[in-house]
Amino acid sequence: MFGALSTVEGAPSGVLEEVAREFSPRIEVCSPTEIVLDLDGLTRLFGEARTIAEELRRTAADRGLRVRVAIAGTRMAARLLVRYRAGLTIVEPGNEAAAVAPLPITLLDELSSNTSGIKGPHHRIKEPHHRTKDPHHRTKDQEPRTKDQIATFRHWGLRTLGDLAALPADDLAARLGRQQTDWQRLARGEDARPLVPAVPEERFEQSLDLEWPIEELEPLSFVLGRLMDRLEAHLEQRDRGAAVLHVRLHLIKRSNVQGQRSTDGTTREVHERSLQLPVAIRDARTLRMLALLDLESHPPPAAIDRVTVAVDPTPGRIVQFSLLTRPLPSPEQVATLMARLQALMGETRCGSPAMVDSWEPGAFAMKSFMPLDVNARHQRYDTQRYRDTENKSSSSLIHSLGASVPRPSTCARGALSTVEGRCVVEVNDASKLPVVALRRFRHPIPIRVQMKHGQPMSVSIMRRGLNGGVVDSCAGPWRTSGAWWESRTESRFPSPESRVPTPWDRDEWDVALAEGPTYRLFRERHSDKWFLEGVVD
Amino acid sequence: MAHPAVAVLESALRARKLDRTLTTTLPSWEWTDPSSLLPTDIPLVDACLRGGLPRGQLSELTGACSSGRMTLLLQLMAAATRRGEIAALVDTLDCFDVASAAAAGVDLDRLLWIRGSDSGLGTRDSGTQHTRTQNVRSRNMESRIPDRESRIPSSVDRAIDRALKALNLVLQAGGFGIVAIDLADVPAVTLRQIPFTTWPRVQRVIEGSDTACVLVTPEPLARSAGGLTLSLTSRSTWAGMSDRSHVLQGIDLRVRVVSPRKRIDGDVRVRASM
Repeated sequence: MFGALSTVEGAPSGVLEEVAREFSPRIEVCSPTEIVLDLDGLTRLFGEARTIAEELRRTAADRGLRVRVAIAGTRMAARLLVRYRAGLTIVEPGNEAAAVAPLPITLLDELSSNTSGIKGPHHRIKEPHHRTKDPHHRTKDQEPRTKDQIATFRHWGLRTLGDLAALPADDLAARLGRQQTDWQRLARGEDARPLVPAVPEERFEQSLDLEWPIEELEPLSFVLGRLMDRLEAHLEQRDRGAAVLHVRLHLIKRSNVQGQRSTDGTTREVHERSLQLPVAIRDARTLRMLALLDLESHPPPAAIDRVTVAVDPTPGRIVQFSLLTRPLPSPEQVATLMARLQALMGETRCGSPAMVDSWEPGAFAMKSFMPLDVNARHQRYDTQRYRDTENKSSSSLIHSLGASVPRPSTCARGALSTVEGRCVVEVNDASKLPVVALRRFRHPIPIRVQMKHGQPMSVSIMRRGLNGGVVDSCAGPWRTSGAWWESRTESRFPSPESRVPTPWDRDEWDVALAEGPTYRLFRERHSDKWFLEGVVD
Repeated sequence: MAHPAVAVLESALRARKLDRTLTTTLPSWEWTDPSSLLPTDIPLVDACLRGGLPRGQLSELTGACSSGRMTLLLQLMAAATRRGEIAALVDTLDCFDVASAAAAGVDLDRLLWIRGSDSGLGTRDSGTQHTRTQNVRSRNMESRIPDRESRIPSSVDRAIDRALKALNLVLQAGGFGIVAIDLADVPAVTLRQIPFTTWPRVQRVIEGSDTACVLVTPEPLARSAGGLTLSLTSRSTWAGMSDRSHVLQGIDLRVRVVSPRKRIDGDVRVRASM
């Protein structure tokens, strides 16, 4: 048994739905002014169908709504009747076709023009998808086609739904196509599809009023743990995870600045923090830990008397483990680890390094550390590789590697015998040679260099642990410059991770000292000063 | 045939994980489980190490400046990330070069980089300025030098303290194939001031796990009983005869496996190119 509820005049948004949800959890919102309810089982609560209809109208009247109510054995019959008949309309089960027969055929056009209940026979299968995306979505040619059909029926002299239902189905299909017989089913009040209940938008939020204000984070952790446990249960019940975690702390602060003045003369302020989580998380311990670590970095300025936690839900994760690869830490573990590390080292000091497309020496970027499993990584890399080949040539990729670019490539990779010790192996495979690393000083160290015949002769380094001395071998200069169009900043060497490029114009040298260490030096051309950029290590 | 008493003694030492301390640092060929080792993917070095660095143990890469420590460490990280593992580097004094890591083949997406502060390392210029200030304050030469000496390590101490805490957090989180802490630029005097109980605690955290913890230090500091100490030296190689064509070609890296009693258990040379 289905009931249709329709407002006579415009109603405030959501009020009609509230009325319907007081009676049944299975409702379908056809339009802002029309709702269909599944009334199965309600007779044991309210009594006969007429009693249910009267209760519906009385409840709506309490909310200030004047409504029409129709109850029938099918959803379509209830909808057709509620549009045409005022007041209460009750149709006994099995009498739907007779009840809707006198209704004008133009009702089909009305239903198709302003609701999603009827899209015509051609679009019947796609209705649920249309409803979830946009209840008023209509294809461009749909409305004219429905109007054409109705016009055809009227041209044939059909005035009521009963006239349409009485046509021979075979002849109708022969003239208009087999699918046109679905119009007849609608005209008899039969349902084309089952009711698709609207899922109410749930709020995942938990609050707790404290008897005594809390000033420290340690007691707050117990409160958060209690709230998070409830939140986790709710999320698990709905198979949801948290995408964003909101923590709202209502503070008690005796001041006369912003906020709402309460009855005892204090000023209520809200300390709100929002955490963007890397993946969908619903583990209560992880959420509590992340909230606490964030509050450690951004503590509330006053005592707390009410705690509210809320999450923006997202579908839960489906994790497929593998027996063939080593397990990676779970996203919850990674998120907790990163929060702890950021609290210890600083928010911008932890993450994954990333290359940037720049010639600037030592340029890099930091991004959040979120390791993917191998399969996802390969898939993403394939996409990235395709994108790279689309956007830039391989040479520009090599250029983005930075300091080694202007130098001539070293192709001579000969064999080397290893005799000492226990291992005696010949190295012939040049492709497996390790690559020499540079230990780079973020802020280059000023040094003194003596030149002879245009080449460094000796190096003097003013830094603990780094020895200067006579130059044994050197190579250079490799001249590089860039970002000359940018204005020179106050700091000679600003932070390398800053996005603004810094002008540079310099001559680089590779220098091996007689004492052993190999350095990379450079001379700033505009100031003629020498700096130590790094150590070949 | 060994004396039965010797066999009993060796088995007792092995049960208490003391056998490699007293006999050799390298694992025996017979008992080696490949999954318990972290290879470098450099055939020579792996052959010398009998498979790689042991997982669940604390190993060391030691050597002076320009000895190739970072080169070998990046090879370890590149090999680990190529196999789909994740790596972490606690960069105590922020000296990590991202371009070098990318060139070495490290999958940067799978590398957790924890950057310390390089402000702890003062130059002698700043030290000189400080000295001048002290000189105005006091003409006593003896009182000036200890002040300067004590000022510089204090900031390094803070950097080391934070780095060790970060190392502990990463190791406790678990799931990493290799976790390295770079203490290469820290003065040896400061390193010796770290309480020795720090390293057994680190060892206890990773014991039984798949994580290989690597210390990069200027001198042997604190490897565990099952770990390895690799002593590195290197010599730069150059190509080109004339000044114009002269170019740094790479380094010849010498890797020695050193036992706690200074015995050389393995020695190998490899070439690294620019």
